[in-house]
Amino acid sequence: MSGVDLFSLATSGVNASSKLLQTTSNNIANVNTQGYVRERTELQNSQVFGVEIGNTERIINVFAQNQLRRDITQVGELNSFSAKTTAIDNLLASEANSLSQGFSQYFSAVQTAADDPTNLASREQVLGKSESLYQRMSTLSDYMIEKEEELNLEFTSLVNRANSLIGNIGDLNRTIVIANGNSTSDQPSALLNERDQAVEELASIMGIEVRDSKGQNGAININLSSGESLVLDNGKFNLFELNTNADLTFTELQLATNFGSQTKADTTINVLESDLSGTLGGLFKYRNEVLGPAMRDVGQLAIAFADAMNSQNKLGMDLDGQLGNNIFDIPTFRGLAYEGTVGDYQVEAQITPGKGAELTDADYRIEVTNVAGGVPSEIEITLLNADGSAKKDGSGNDIVFSSYAVGAGFNELPGGIEIEFSGTSAYAVGNAFLVQPTKTVASAITLATERPEDLAFATPVRAQADANNLGNANVSSVSVTNTDVGGGTSQSAFDGAGGIHDVAGSPSATLGAPAQILFTAADSYQVLDGALPPNVIANVSGVTNLNNLLAQAETNGAGPAWPAAFSALDDYPGYDLSIDGVPRAGDSFSIEFNTDGFNDNSNALSIAGLQRDPLVQVSSESTNTPRTFQDAYASMVGRIGEDTAMANVSLASAEAMEVQSRNWFESVSGVSLDEEAANLIKYQQSYAAAARILTTAQELFNTILQSAR
Amino acid sequence: MRISTSQIYDQNVRSIMNNQEELIKTQEQLATGKRIITPSDDPVGAAKVLRLTEEIDALDQFKRNNDLVTGSLEQQEAVLTNITNSINRARTLVVQSGSGILADPDKRAIGAELEQIKLEIFDLMNTQDADGNYIYAGYQSGNQAFSYNPAATGNAITFSGDAGVSFVQLSNSSKIQSTSNGYEVFENVLSRFKFSVTGSSVTNFESAKVSEQGTFDTFFDKNYDPVTAANNNYRVTFLAGNQAQVTNTGTGAIVDTVGFTSGSPFTVKGMQFEASAVAGDTIDFSLNPPEKKSMAQSLHELQEILMDSTINNTALQEAIADSLVGLDNGLEKISLERASIGSRLNIAESVYESNLDMEIAAKASRSSLQDVDYAEASTDFAKQETALNAALQSFSKVTDLSLFNFI
Repeated sequence: MSGVDLFSLATSGVNASSKLLQTTSNNIANVNTQGYVRERTELQNSQVFGVEIGNTERIINVFAQNQLRRDITQVGELNSFSAKTTAIDNLLASEANSLSQGFSQYFSAVQTAADDPTNLASREQVLGKSESLYQRMSTLSDYMIEKEEELNLEFTSLVNRANSLIGNIGDLNRTIVIANGNSTSDQPSALLNERDQAVEELASIMGIEVRDSKGQNGAININLSSGESLVLDNGKFNLFELNTNADLTFTELQLATNFGSQTKADTTINVLESDLSGTLGGLFKYRNEVLGPAMRDVGQLAIAFADAMNSQNKLGMDLDGQLGNNIFDIPTFRGLAYEGTVGDYQVEAQITPGKGAELTDADYRIEVTNVAGGVPSEIEITLLNADGSAKKDGSGNDIVFSSYAVGAGFNELPGGIEIEFSGTSAYAVGNAFLVQPTKTVASAITLATERPEDLAFATPVRAQADANNLGNANVSSVSVTNTDVGGGTSQSAFDGAGGIHDVAGSPSATLGAPAQILFTAADSYQVLDGALPPNVIANVSGVTNLNNLLAQAETNGAGPAWPAAFSALDDYPGYDLSIDGVPRAGDSFSIEFNTDGFNDNSNALSIAGLQRDPLVQVSSESTNTPRTFQDAYASMVGRIGEDTAMANVSLASAEAMEVQSRNWFESVSGVSLDEEAANLIKYQQSYAAAARILTTAQELFNTILQSAR
Repeated sequence: MRISTSQIYDQNVRSIMNNQEELIKTQEQLATGKRIITPSDDPVGAAKVLRLTEEIDALDQFKRNNDLVTGSLEQQEAVLTNITNSINRARTLVVQSGSGILADPDKRAIGAELEQIKLEIFDLMNTQDADGNYIYAGYQSGNQAFSYNPAATGNAITFSGDAGVSFVQLSNSSKIQSTSNGYEVFENVLSRFKFSVTGSSVTNFESAKVSEQGTFDTFFDKNYDPVTAANNNYRVTFLAGNQAQVTNTGTGAIVDTVGFTSGSPFTVKGMQFEASAVAGDTIDFSLNPPEKKSMAQSLHELQEILMDSTINNTALQEAIADSLVGLDNGLEKISLERASIGSRLNIAESVYESNLDMEIAAKASRSSLQDVDYAEASTDFAKQETALNAALQSFSKVTDLSLFNFI
């Protein structure tokens, strides 16, 4: 042992304390630094006395870190889902946007107008209320269309951010491997912190798995939770791409490989958005489960309502004495070609008038499966959910209509729509189109008329007992089911010029439309036309009830029976009457066009009655009972409220989990100023003590020197 | 557990934020008075609130409809009351005009008064509502319900509307008729059933008239055939043994056989014949087709006869009998209609009341779903306020504790 040893001992002690002080100070200085992990310097006693400075390491618990990442992913997903859903929830909460209120006001206005059908002011009110109802619908729909556009921008920026993070992590991997190679003692802790932070941010965007590289060189590999690799060894990585197919506003996520190989071409892999998790996954989930269905629900409701009003209005007579027309214009729309269907292939689609109650919220995928002379002859129809997956029926099978025969002109499809293949190019097997009847339609429905006179509040025919009847029977009701004017099998007995068919106008060569019921006994009657003298259309005997006399004549008429020229048509004459009381032989009842019958409010009452009719289809299964307009709206609001409430509850619990795991992580890796203060004093004292060794050594040396002098 | 510095701050800030969030939520509930601010607060409740609001709105409209229909029915009732009063006055005058001691000028005076009453009733039959619609014109309410054309053959006062009636929705399930068929109320009134003699082979045919109107009406009602005109022809055949037999010449059925004394009146089925006849003689008569006349038309016809001084007493008595039957049948129709209006008003009132009850129930259940319980919310508010205060105060205490303050 020599005095020199004391000096080197002191030096090592001072150096060690200095290093400890440096580490502690670094911890104190970084107390507020994002992502900083507290460090500790390890000391070892030297083989040759004195102290050796070991590694300065980050104090980190990998399990706590992984748990934290998983929780961050969870919170990220629920946070974005909940925030977006809450926005729609808030929109629906507002009274001003409530469709239910809009419906109530509209039907109230109709009833008020029905109380005085000739009053133009109250008719004006009906138009005003229907406009405001569609205003509400298009406010909702426009808002959601904007949200979808916004969402696509958000997807882009999130994917860009994720890509830059992935690139960043790859770069950092490489740098860390180099740094690890250069220095064997100290960790490149700043780089590690930076990489951990990037990984944490990536974890908030999507669900990832982080593993140490097999090379044990400090690099990490990152996979999506569903398995696809993002960051590979050697600083390589794959990046995300956004793509669309038929619907250009429906973005889909893909992963592009980057093999960096001369022999193997790079490719893109579809990523299942529902497995993605994180902020990005939350947004996709919101689009597929909340926004998409809500858009279609509003569209379905808008069409069902407009079509019901149009159909009922067409069964009436307006204040100009004409048969009613459409009140609302429902726009036609175009089928969108899927990728790979290139050419002038047009698919025109529209709602089948009168079939609004059959419409569902489904999108249609239409694939040509057979072609005759360049025109599709058979197609396959798949009903799709908002997220692009196939709708399921009650037994869990996809709803697909195979080998559906189509021809020229509009072809009716299941679910109340019809399509026409109107392109000029020759169609080929495999051409596929996407038809979205309900997605954005609520923004595009407009009023077809500005004239309050066009509201058809009257029934176009009236029936009454003849003045000379001796029985006490009276007309109890007149019903109208068809007012179609013109030829074809759909025609009715209305001639469109303020009358019903005479012999010349009717589909029969010898008979006009039914215009009179003549009782030949209390339980038998003749149906006569309006000619002079009248022709007998049918004889009916043995009548047990006096409801729907014309329908009875069609089924039971004999000698003559109901003419074949009438029964060949879909619904001719399109009206019917019922009688109550007891008729006597010779009593007659006339049926005529309701000329000047402007005070008739029966069709207005029918319009008002639609409020309580089940006219909105629940699902794509035809066996379901439809719901009323307001019922459908209420359940949509309830569903979105349910989604939001569930998202909020799950978010709260995920946040609680995150707090817990962050506490775990922080309690291991966070800087405690109190602890560092104690360390500071401790290391200061050890520094002073080591320095004291030096002075002691010097004093010893001086003592020796003086004694030698 | 080791606590890092940032944990202390995070924990404090988090609890302050949470408390603030809850406080703001409660404050919003208190300020709006609503428990459900957004549908997600109670999705099932929110949907239910929508349905209840729909129901309340509908009930509100039903109340307005009810007011309207009540007003319209009351107007109709007033019209009918006025008509009844006028007819009662006219009836007195008609009876009075039959008195044999009246001179022509007196009859004319009565005739003039009947004309006024006729015009008044005619006006009432053409009553318009506040919007100018003729209430008895049916669907063609822009046109007058009854028209008056003294020069017309047949009835001078005729119904020119249609049978259309309006309905008003009073509740989800009940519709009520708000207007009536003017034809049914005023004109579907059968005038007196009569018969006319078409030929006879008796030597001295004195008279043939309806002597027992009730009996004749029953006979007429049962036997009049509107389809085959020939079935309405009858023949009285005088048989040996002072008997008179009535047969239907269309069907050949024997109607009745009664005793007969030549020169004295005999009555069969309410018809009285007076003739001198021997066995083998016949009298042919047929039932007149039934006619329908409004009361105004009946008055119109009588009034014309009263004004005409050339009419003999028999014809006058016939006309008076016609018009009395016409007025009585007409009043019967009107009292039927008034009964119907009364029952409709009763229905309207009871529906109104049940609607009110339903509205109260719906509002109560909406309120229990949607409205905030102030007691509970204020208690919550106070609790959350205390918690926030505590969090704020403890923050400074906790963060003040640092070893650095002591070295």
